[in-house]
Amino acid sequence: MPYVDIDAPGSNQLFIGNEAIARGILEAGVGFASAYPGTPSSEILGSLAEIAQRRNLYVEWSVNEKVAIEAATAASFAGIRSLAAMKMNGLNVVIDFLSTIVLSGIGKKGLVLMVGDDPSAHSSSNESDSRPVAKWLDIPLVEPGDFQEAKDMLPYLYQISEEFGTLCILRSVTRIAHARGNVRLGKIPDIEHKARFDQFYDPAAPMPTPIMCLPSAFRHMFQHMRLERIKERFETSPLNKYVGPEKPELLIITAGSGWLYSQDAVNALKAEERIGILKLGTLWPLPEKLVRNYLNSTDKVIFIEEIDPFIENAVMEFAASFSPENRHNIFYGKHTRHLNAFGELTPDAVIKAITSVLDIKYVPRDAEYIKKIESVPANYVVDRLLTFCPGCPHRASFWAIKNTLAMDGRNGFVTGDIGCYTMALGPAGFFQTRTHQCMGAGAGLANGFGQLHRFGFDQPVISVVGDSTFYHSIIPALINGVHNHADFILVILDNGATAMTGFQPHPGTELTAMGEPAAPISMETICRAIGARVEVCDPFDLKSTTEILLDFLQQKRGVRVAIMRRSCELVRQKKEKKPYKMKIDPEKCLGEDCGCNRLCTRIFRCPGLVWDTIASKTRIDEVICNECGVCADICPERAITKEAVA
Amino acid sequence: MVTAVKGVKELIDEVVKPGLCTLCGACVGDCPYLVFYNGKIKLLDLCTRAEGHCYEYCPRTYTNMDAISQNIFNKTYDASELGHYIDIFISRASDVKTRNKAQYGGTVSALLSLALSEGLIDKALLAKSGKDRRPTGIEALNGEDVLSGSGSNYMAYPALQRLNRLQRDSRENIGIVLTPCQCIALSKMLAYPATQRFDTSNVKLAIGLFCTWALSYDRFFEFLNEKVNVAKIKKFDIPPPPANRFDIYTRADRISFPLDTVREYRMSTCSYCLDMTAEFADISVGAAEGIEGWNTVIIRTQRGSEIINLARHKGKLDVDSIPQQNLDHLKESAMLKKTRATNEIIKRTSAKNDLMYLGISENTRGKLLAERR
Repeated sequence: MPYVDIDAPGSNQLFIGNEAIARGILEAGVGFASAYPGTPSSEILGSLAEIAQRRNLYVEWSVNEKVAIEAATAASFAGIRSLAAMKMNGLNVVIDFLSTIVLSGIGKKGLVLMVGDDPSAHSSSNESDSRPVAKWLDIPLVEPGDFQEAKDMLPYLYQISEEFGTLCILRSVTRIAHARGNVRLGKIPDIEHKARFDQFYDPAAPMPTPIMCLPSAFRHMFQHMRLERIKERFETSPLNKYVGPEKPELLIITAGSGWLYSQDAVNALKAEERIGILKLGTLWPLPEKLVRNYLNSTDKVIFIEEIDPFIENAVMEFAASFSPENRHNIFYGKHTRHLNAFGELTPDAVIKAITSVLDIKYVPRDAEYIKKIESVPANYVVDRLLTFCPGCPHRASFWAIKNTLAMDGRNGFVTGDIGCYTMALGPAGFFQTRTHQCMGAGAGLANGFGQLHRFGFDQPVISVVGDSTFYHSIIPALINGVHNHADFILVILDNGATAMTGFQPHPGTELTAMGEPAAPISMETICRAIGARVEVCDPFDLKSTTEILLDFLQQKRGVRVAIMRRSCELVRQKKEKKPYKMKIDPEKCLGEDCGCNRLCTRIFRCPGLVWDTIASKTRIDEVICNECGVCADICPERAITKEAVA
Repeated sequence: MVTAVKGVKELIDEVVKPGLCTLCGACVGDCPYLVFYNGKIKLLDLCTRAEGHCYEYCPRTYTNMDAISQNIFNKTYDASELGHYIDIFISRASDVKTRNKAQYGGTVSALLSLALSEGLIDKALLAKSGKDRRPTGIEALNGEDVLSGSGSNYMAYPALQRLNRLQRDSRENIGIVLTPCQCIALSKMLAYPATQRFDTSNVKLAIGLFCTWALSYDRFFEFLNEKVNVAKIKKFDIPPPPANRFDIYTRADRISFPLDTVREYRMSTCSYCLDMTAEFADISVGAAEGIEGWNTVIIRTQRGSEIINLARHKGKLDVDSIPQQNLDHLKESAMLKKTRATNEIIKRTSAKNDLMYLGISENTRGKLLAERR
């Protein structure tokens, strides 16, 4: 695949949506981009990082989303077009800042927040829709409906941002961000960025003032005035388009991925003559005149959009202001249960909604065919539950956690966090994790549990976090715990990478996003400075990891931190050879007999170990085993052996 | 009374949770699901097997006393005071150094040292006080190792865990020191041998210790920690009646507690034990009442007899006959333990024909019930 800065204006490239957005960022002449990784937004900064040095672009993986948007804002203040990217969870983290930046306004150059939503929450702990934030906080928001738009919207958005002096939001969803399509490239401008902070620049103020949100009520009014003007601009925006007959029987109003599904559905129903599609790109503020124009062309209207009824509610709210003789529309959508306000859209769901409104007969493929299609993957995909990779250090860490909590016997439990280790809710982590919310929540919860001893609570609490999560949002919780004498154990699974989102660097790693060397910020030093008792161990050394945890569990008070440090297997194997050659002695393997009962394939469940139902013995799956050696230490009969590879 | 062999879930529900576990260690050491930790048996993961050796060998699950007795003595279990025996006498180690280190007469240390030096056994498994004064198992390979383990702890510890940890294909001959409940567990292992474990027929010498009850590890230490600096303790002692004391020796001092105070911390399961003199050992050893520096010794098996003869022949053991008065009193105490335990068992089951784990014949049960006062 080409780099996103490929110098071929006018050519067509097959880009995923996030690459198209990255290209758009370059074509918009952005000089500063920051992000915290999160699906489905990570590839934007990832693909910019690859080319940042040669494109005079500064990129950073920020410690968290709030710092990312604040840092990007500074660049805007100093006259550099800037952008911060994040997933919807990150948007929640930055709300407080957004609520003030809309009042203070931005600098001379544009500022865009790109947020990736994850309908169906494929890789997320929530399924929230980012768009209501735009309405709530008075921020202009656009959403691309295809890959070309994903690129083209950025230069447009920077124009809006600069002309009106406001932060703008670009919202995308998984099926735009991660699907691949044709993008016709434009030119990347050659810009000499020159940064300077004019300390009294504030176009909103009648006199020179610092950039500030005071007086807030006045600036709130001012932002509403801005939005009115932006609405005017959006009325004629090329990002909004209509296809279909002049007087359609049914009008679809859609945006984002809904645009693609709507076209598919109309096409499948051969209803091009009956149905019109109004595709909106500028979602907030809603271009009301434009919408009203199309509402007048028909009676029946259905809204096709992913997650919340955002356009649906906005249009109906606005239609409620029509005079009685003009209120002829019948609205269908999520409020009529024709579509769900959760989960992803599919062409089938859209077809079903349309056919129930228009009474069109649609015969899908016959059941036999569907059955056949569904059976195909079973021949090629291994039937396996969601689990850690073979050789993943987390499996060993949770093995030690499981055993020590069982030995302790006081019904201790793990409060979970966000990362690969979220899978410890299930068999991958032996069902140890009992709470799962957002980044940092596990440590916050542990703070609360850790105070309940005064109410008879005697269960040990272990907050398990990843290294990137630690820097992102654990440190305040740790400080809180030490200061308030909370009782809990914090386990940091330090695998040296933001592994779940694709190994992005973080403050504990040795490289910045720009590829410059960085001194890893020592988490043990931070924890010790805060005043916690800290032990560092290698989770593959099950014995000492277990001993540390048992020792921690016997200490009844205070914050104790165990740093379980071992490189993510996927990172390690890029640098090193496999350390061992694993073997199983079938003579020694007890299998299902007393004294084992398939401990390795029934409880430990590394995918590298396979239960041979015919021989009633365990086998090593040599294709996927990463030869980490941990199973040799859990085999009660020492039937599994590891031989160091020279 | 449940006579079927079951799995680990039932072991936990029927034995561990109700406080019947003796901490013998029969279920730990070669099982990845059960571990001994902090004075208790803990289940790490659920083993789904319907039948497990953990349940089968537990001295508090159904035990066919006639079967294990037949297997060792070729005689059924008759609930006699001291069990089956060949001879009973008093003895002490001839070696003064051994005697001085020992709790009483040093007979156990002398016998184990001899068995090791004569090659009768390759390894002796016994308990030793750890740094924190909690008992821990050691493997003694010579007389010096044996002496490091001498002295009594009065605390339950899973002696059989050590045995279970031996490699299943090991051909080592083993000597082991056990309490009565542990002897019963070992007898079950011998009577119902397993193929996938250490071969218990390699145990060539089982020395049983007289036991009235054992202290519960965690609760007793809670008590101790309040009263003394545990790190300074050198020795525990329960001097023979009528002293009625529990003595704690530090380098400088002896601190005594009334025995009744300490008895509060015994394991609840001990109330259901009928065996004071380790009736299923090769040789049983205890203190000789009123004869300071001597042990009472009961020889029960042929091989027990052989090693005693060898010890006498080699001048390792001083032996004397047991005074009739001592023998009478020993029998009286032993029978008292049986009747008390029978009463406790019936209290628990509320049925005279349900003696919990105790699988005995109608006749023997009648005999036991008749002995109750």
